Amino acid sequence: MEYDIVIGLEVHAELKTNSKVFCSCKNQFGSAPNTNCCPVCIGLPGALPVLNKKAVELVIKAGLAIGGEINEEAIFERKNYFYPDLSKAYQISQLVKPICVGGHLKVGNREVQINRIHLEEDAGKLTHSGESGLTMVDYNRGGVPLMELVTEPDIHSAEEAVEFLTNLRSILVFADVAECKMEQGGMRCDVNVSIKPKGSEKLGNRTEMKNLNSFKSVERAIKYEVERQAEVLDKGGVVTQETRKWDDDAGISYAMRKKETSQDYRYFPDPDLLSVHISREKVAEIKKTLPLMPHELKEKYIAEFGLTEYEADIITREKKTIAYFEEASSICNQPKQVSNWLLTDVLAKAKESDGEILLSAKELGLLIKLIADGKVNRAVAKEIFAKVWAGEGDVQSLAQKLGGSVDEGQLAGMIDDVIAQNPKAVADYHASEEKDKLIKWFVGQVMKVSRGKANPTQAEQLIKQKLN
Amino acid sequence: MEKIDIAEVKRLASLSALEFDEKSLEKFVGDFENILNMVGEIQKCDTSKVEIKRACHDFDELRDDEAKEGISQEEVLLNSPKSRKGCFAVPQMLEE
Amino acid sequence: MEYNTLSLLEHVDLVKTGKVTSEELTKYYISKCKEMEKYNAVLEIFDDATSNAKAMDEKIKNGFKGALAGIPVIIKDNILYKGKKCTCSSKFLENYVAQYNATVVEKLLDAGAIIIGRANMDEFAMGSSTENSAFGVTHNAVNFDCVAGGSSGGSAVAVAGGMCPLSLGTDTGGSVRQPCAINGIVGIKPTYGRVSRYGVIAFASSLEQVGPMTKTVKDNAYALQVLAGHSKFDETSSNREVPSYIEEIEKPIAGLKICVLKEVEEAVKGLDTEKSYRNTKQILSSLGAEIVEMSMPDFSLSLPCYYVIAPAEATSNLGRFDGIKYSRRSENAKNVDEIYTKSRTEGFGDEVKRRIMLGNFVLSSGFFDAYYNKAKAVQQKLKDSAKEIFEKCDAILLPTTAGGAFKIGAKTDPVSMYKEDLFTIIANILGVPAITLPAGKTEDNMPLGVQILGREFDEATVYRIANAIEGERRKA
Repeated sequence: MEYDIVIGLEVHAELKTNSKVFCSCKNQFGSAPNTNCCPVCIGLPGALPVLNKKAVELVIKAGLAIGGEINEEAIFERKNYFYPDLSKAYQISQLVKPICVGGHLKVGNREVQINRIHLEEDAGKLTHSGESGLTMVDYNRGGVPLMELVTEPDIHSAEEAVEFLTNLRSILVFADVAECKMEQGGMRCDVNVSIKPKGSEKLGNRTEMKNLNSFKSVERAIKYEVERQAEVLDKGGVVTQETRKWDDDAGISYAMRKKETSQDYRYFPDPDLLSVHISREKVAEIKKTLPLMPHELKEKYIAEFGLTEYEADIITREKKTIAYFEEASSICNQPKQVSNWLLTDVLAKAKESDGEILLSAKELGLLIKLIADGKVNRAVAKEIFAKVWAGEGDVQSLAQKLGGSVDEGQLAGMIDDVIAQNPKAVADYHASEEKDKLIKWFVGQVMKVSRGKANPTQAEQLIKQKLN
Repeated sequence: MEKIDIAEVKRLASLSALEFDEKSLEKFVGDFENILNMVGEIQKCDTSKVEIKRACHDFDELRDDEAKEGISQEEVLLNSPKSRKGCFAVPQMLEE
Repeated sequence: MEYNTLSLLEHVDLVKTGKVTSEELTKYYISKCKEMEKYNAVLEIFDDATSNAKAMDEKIKNGFKGALAGIPVIIKDNILYKGKKCTCSSKFLENYVAQYNATVVEKLLDAGAIIIGRANMDEFAMGSSTENSAFGVTHNAVNFDCVAGGSSGGSAVAVAGGMCPLSLGTDTGGSVRQPCAINGIVGIKPTYGRVSRYGVIAFASSLEQVGPMTKTVKDNAYALQVLAGHSKFDETSSNREVPSYIEEIEKPIAGLKICVLKEVEEAVKGLDTEKSYRNTKQILSSLGAEIVEMSMPDFSLSLPCYYVIAPAEATSNLGRFDGIKYSRRSENAKNVDEIYTKSRTEGFGDEVKRRIMLGNFVLSSGFFDAYYNKAKAVQQKLKDSAKEIFEKCDAILLPTTAGGAFKIGAKTDPVSMYKEDLFTIIANILGVPAITLPAGKTEDNMPLGVQILGREFDEATVYRIANAIEGERRKA
């Protein structure tokens, strides 16, 4: 039988703040265990949460970036359950009035509908150490601000899910909301999957897979789950509504031991926190700080700068490439040239150095400006590029050394020499019908003599004058 | 009048991470029903026109995002019943 | 000299004028605590109290002028004082050592107070008699066979029994006022948000406040001045300016409008408290205050309303006592689930367990709307009717308790114990300030109190009225 696939995502991203969401401890990855901690985030008796303004601001930003609506009043609730990574035995989260409701994100030619984005605190980290027979609890991550974005069940393939996540990630990174470092757990995803006979209105039973931490595993887990559910239905069975664990190494998922249905989180408003009033003026103010999003920039680059779809796509894929492109362009005012250099030279070269770009955007802008102003030609420019990349100087001083130092007097002298030394060529020139072709030969000779420092356009003009 | 049965009390005990032996369970059920009867008085109150107002503060009054040193690892673990390598330690949990 | 016959303000004066040193006072009160040991009011006398007092004497010599410079103070055992044990009178926290200072402790220390010990209480502040302590019952300061009241019973008996001139309690449903009343002293529950709760082990976060307990109204105003104010560690603490409570305390109360509730006028009939309540009404009239009878039809619902909201918050607040991070972990636990259930089952007393269960009942799905949300709506309705009253009146007069201290062990049924707080809970539900002060005695010669409730953040008027009543009673 053929099935329609219905997927909903719950995406967690750690927000890019200095301090945690309810205390002033450092929001920092990789510290020694329990060293970014205080009475609040380790849940000591008597400690009270105090909300971080920046965390709220970042969720508002994320909400605006996906076209969501910002609630005028945001309420924080406690989600109660026992687990060793949860120091207070409740997680502060949002249920009734999250910061953002609604929104959508473009995937292919379609808008995937978003249900909400809310702010909550991350849990600590558990390490299961086999040898000691212990599980170790580190609360450094406890209280790190997390945004949770929940989509509507509006995604219809594993590929679409991955594209959604890719686009979301680039928006969050670009808006400076989150770094989304998957390998550090900075972005994690829960996936709900159900299938139904093609065309059917009735949703099937769904299963949930928690904490998938790479796009690849999201894709594989969904594909596996769709196949598994189809097999069940094909055999006339019923899909069990359950939480499953994805085993990335084995490439399979299996039902978790504990039935989620028994969970009753007993949400209620956290009496330690006031609700937050977010004025419309504040929302407008934050909106102004929101940069153009990658997809908007892409359109702009194609329309205004004449970049190809391919070029614009590559540049807008990464935040740092956009920044590089923007800065270099602002210096030389030649975005198309910047794009050429960036795609052919800079990024190619960067691959040799672990993705690191060893020539600043400012230097590239300057170099392109020198070419445009006729101060150096392309050949010299490439030489300068290579030297700067290798750390052998900067564009300005190299340009002075290698190019641009041939003034009009020197150039005239060189041309005179070339003409004097090549009488046959001069005669050929005068006899020829294809003067333009032969003049190029002279230009080439001048370039050779000047060791590439002469401006070829300027040289051509002067040679013409002298020969005629 | 709210009636409570043993099964319900056991469900609450599980949510509460508490255990009761059979004997104390019975006394508990009796006390609990009395309390619920007292508490149930609120059901009689007409609150249809009540609009709940919550204490609220403005976005601008929230804490600025400045990171500060917390307490040392040693202080964190001061009252810990069991710790190891800077972490709180519990018997190994099955990875789920 | 028997310092414990003097007021707090007299102590302050003696230290300030060099007539007594902090060390002398501290040693004196420590010896009083020891003499009164059998009352079981104080769980621990801090061994560094005397040396801290000595150091304070040096500071005073060098010109230090804190409001409580050198004054011995006892705190309820749910207030964190760094490096000292804090047990909430629970076996669960038997060996818990505070890892930081509560804001009120910081304020006391900044003012120069010497914190000499911690006082017994009902476990996790759940109770009205201090019989629910894991470390034994506290005895009433006036009659040893009677309860101290609670939950701040130890703190009340410490002041009433002359073991310190000032103690701190916490009041979630009457836990400062009820023990003060039945031991014959003065105590206030400030406006919700007037005093920071940071570092006070939470029972019901939206209802409780720390309050000073003293022998006189003026002493109390003086002490609250030290404790009040915003803390950046507590969102629910108000950043409203703290007025001077002493400045206008002597101002006559003639012309003030004082509300008596129709429902309470009915309810006190035949109670032990009736005489002192009516007597106070007369005192107020004689001082020129206008008594205005108004109605708060749902007054009696404050009790059930409280027994939904407080347990709901408590069950969540006490979740952190899970055996993972601090103090008790059951030795019988073989895995994490057993750490939770066994540590908690062994560590908590019956009343605490009852409230945790009750809280989970009212929060669990299927009951949440009918209980928790309903109680919040009833609370709002009560607040709305209080607003009407305070538009017309400056204060409300209420009895503090129905009767005097009862015999230890006399109340075994939870609901009858809960009803001890019939007249005090309303102030917590409304969030308004409420003071209790002595107002007479029962036929058995046990102290009784009356309460003055004021508008939000109008502790000044509450103190002024209480001070006027106290003055009249002293004359009589």
